[in-house]
Amino acid sequence: MLRRNFGERERFIVALVLPAFLVLGLFQVVPILLGANASFRSWSLFNPQKTFVGLANYRRVLTDPIFYGVVLPNTFLFMAASVAGGLVAGLALATMLDQRFRGESIVRTAILLPLMVPPVVAAIMITWMCNDQFGIVNVALQAVGLEPVPWLVYRWTSLAIVVATDVWLWTPWFTLLILAALRTLPPEPHEAARIDGAGPWRLFRYITLPLLSPVLMVCIVVRAIDAFRVFDIVWTITKGGPARSTETFSIYAYKQAFVYLNFDLGAAASLIGAVIVMVLGALLYRGLSAAVEVSR
Amino acid sequence: MLAPGWRRPFFGLAATAVTLLMVFPVAWIVLTALRPASGVFYVHRGTEFTLANFAEALAKPEMTASFVNSALIATLATVFSLAVTITSGYMLSRFRGATASVWFGLIYLFRCIPYISWVIPLYLLTQWMGILDTYWGLLLPHVAIHVCFFSWIMKGFFDGLPPDLESAAFIDGCSRWGAFFRVALPLATPGIVALGILCWLYTWNEFLFALILTGSRTPMLTVRMAQFVHETGIEWHLMSATAVMALVPALVVTLFAQEYVVKGLKI
Repeated sequence: MLRRNFGERERFIVALVLPAFLVLGLFQVVPILLGANASFRSWSLFNPQKTFVGLANYRRVLTDPIFYGVVLPNTFLFMAASVAGGLVAGLALATMLDQRFRGESIVRTAILLPLMVPPVVAAIMITWMCNDQFGIVNVALQAVGLEPVPWLVYRWTSLAIVVATDVWLWTPWFTLLILAALRTLPPEPHEAARIDGAGPWRLFRYITLPLLSPVLMVCIVVRAIDAFRVFDIVWTITKGGPARSTETFSIYAYKQAFVYLNFDLGAAASLIGAVIVMVLGALLYRGLSAAVEVSR
Repeated sequence: MLAPGWRRPFFGLAATAVTLLMVFPVAWIVLTALRPASGVFYVHRGTEFTLANFAEALAKPEMTASFVNSALIATLATVFSLAVTITSGYMLSRFRGATASVWFGLIYLFRCIPYISWVIPLYLLTQWMGILDTYWGLLLPHVAIHVCFFSWIMKGFFDGLPPDLESAAFIDGCSRWGAFFRVALPLATPGIVALGILCWLYTWNEFLFALILTGSRTPMLTVRMAQFVHETGIEWHLMSATAVMALVPALVVTLFAQEYVVKGLKI
């Protein structure tokens, strides 16, 4: 029976995966190979000579002061700030929504909204609110007697706005996942600690947080990998400006390929980023697994 | 947690603050969209309102086309993505062995690769295939975006269903495809609908692939809007009106499909 069904079972398995595999192969694997090939050649979009140049493109990207001095620090800073911001805000909101209170359903609906909003629209809304002359933020600052701030003229205020937009967009995601995890926690550890006289902060710090850490770990790794490749909100708010000071890794690779038409450098930069993100993902996963083990 | 007398005011205040933070930017852009061109620059103290901005925004070249294109691509990408990932997730959930572990490893690996690393060469690939700046040239890469993540989520949906029912159907003479289509698929439908709603929104909201893989022949909404922002002398009243129209699907889903969305987000 088993033996007779073997070929039929295998055929079924292959048929189930084949469409997805073909799409993934043709539109993700093949482009990555193409890009890898181009990154070893001299290949500009207006004059593709395609001569083999070895690691020269990688050397040029890695020794570009903008890449190691501005782009990488920006990318890591953005990643750390937006993951940390979303995580803290999400933890706070999830803890709050876990209680019963009046208006709970309104908060619950409001919290879903940013998750659905197109990032480009979120970026437009924030750009408008932070408009130097007519934005409501500066109007409010002036109303309380402060100087208006030309937000998009400086590097750090521009970056802060981009991070704020990202935290706004992603806090709901953290909140929903953490809330779902909170709802499934066993009640016994909390009861035992409460009987032993633990206050709310100690309950949270020594019972809730360690129990939540597997979920938090997943959230951090998934979001860190996504935040590393941020493109849409940075492009819409600053386009990498002022003077290339807010470029992140995806913006840098895009500009190399499609603005300066150095397809080879764009491909090399994007693959350097891919390697960084893989190593980072593995390290984060390892480090956080260890942290979870310790806290248990 | 708090002293009884303080609990209600504290939660009232916190709830109001959170709701404001989440809703204010959206409310503000809606308000801006409703002001006439001359009123945009003092949104906070005007009283005249108009709907003319919406008509004027749609009259811009390529604007109507970009709405239609975005909706069409989102719908088609949802259908195609669900179709290929339902079966792939089902396989991951129901079968052990070499094929399953290799496939799982592949989708895990390729999920981590930044979009920019494959969308740059995709430009050349679709150009060579002659589908750059056409529906297919954007649609198929969009399906590829979803393959990894959705296969994983679909696996979760099927993991939540007992395989006994399919075994029973199988014993009763159903073929493997029969058991899949008549037993497993109907049971997984609520999850699949949830994922479909999210997929539609993701595609509608997506920017990077649309930016690189489309041009003037297939204008996409998010790309047109981002261009708007950087054009000199931004017309904020038209910009806001366009943004508000782009927000409609988000608002509809938030208000009417909450339960579904929350279900679809579980990882």
